[in-house]
Amino acid sequence: MPYIPSADDLEVITREVWTSFLDGDPAGLIATSSEMPADKITGCVHLTGAYTGSIMLQCSPPAARQAAAALFSIAPENVTQSEVVDAIGEIANMVGGNVKSMLPGPSALSLPSVVQGLLSVPGAQVVREVQLSWHAQPLFVSLWQQAS
Amino acid sequence: MRILIVDDSRAMRLIVARTLRLAGYEEHELIEAVDGRHALDVVAEEPPDLVLCDWNMPQMSGLELLTALRGAGSSIPFGFVTSEASPQMRVTALQAGAMFLIAKPFTAQDFQDALDPVLA
Repeated sequence: MPYIPSADDLEVITREVWTSFLDGDPAGLIATSSEMPADKITGCVHLTGAYTGSIMLQCSPPAARQAAAALFSIAPENVTQSEVVDAIGEIANMVGGNVKSMLPGPSALSLPSVVQGLLSVPGAQVVREVQLSWHAQPLFVSLWQQAS
Repeated sequence: MRILIVDDSRAMRLIVARTLRLAGYEEHELIEAVDGRHALDVVAEEPPDLVLCDWNMPQMSGLELLTALRGAGSSIPFGFVTSEASPQMRVTALQAGAMFLIAKPFTAQDFQDALDPVLA
């Protein structure tokens, strides 16, 4: 059976991205269950090949603004919508690229897409998910797999 | 020296530039391109001394850019800065003519390890 990254793997990868580029405090991300708002921001990359599925990063709009502010080194109140899209897309790309390295290959990684609200991937289901909190705002990372 | 940063994410271009300063390369001139095709234009206009390039980009990928440069006879030092860093991708990068591959997320030390031999 090929190895499928665990929820712990998703958390380790997310923490590595966060501590490297968003928040130097390793305690900034807390593992906890919380409610994700309906107007969440979703960043997603798709994999096609030996593993076909998606890696999604979802967070509340305030967390998305905080993330963009951290990457662009600006105040959250000055963050534009295009900077949120750029930041969440790049974070999804980084997490997705690292998850891809742990999955069976070869697979191709798509460019990231970012939406506000629910992103549906027809025929795919969640196989792993980690629920985190950052600045008391929800942040979920999930691995999806397309039904064969 | 001129270092060309190629990435479709403006946030990542900023982070790469910030990391170059942290790694001690603040005296170098930094220029940017938003994808491989844009980078080809920049290189044709005034060749940089080093290209730091994302892999996965719209218009033209980093690998396509590197292949185009080497196909045109360019030997500009070229390194990938990418979220995909599997052993197979490292082999592909080196076979195409890249000098190194830095995985995202990275540290200033990662940049020093990769760039010092090139910029020394």
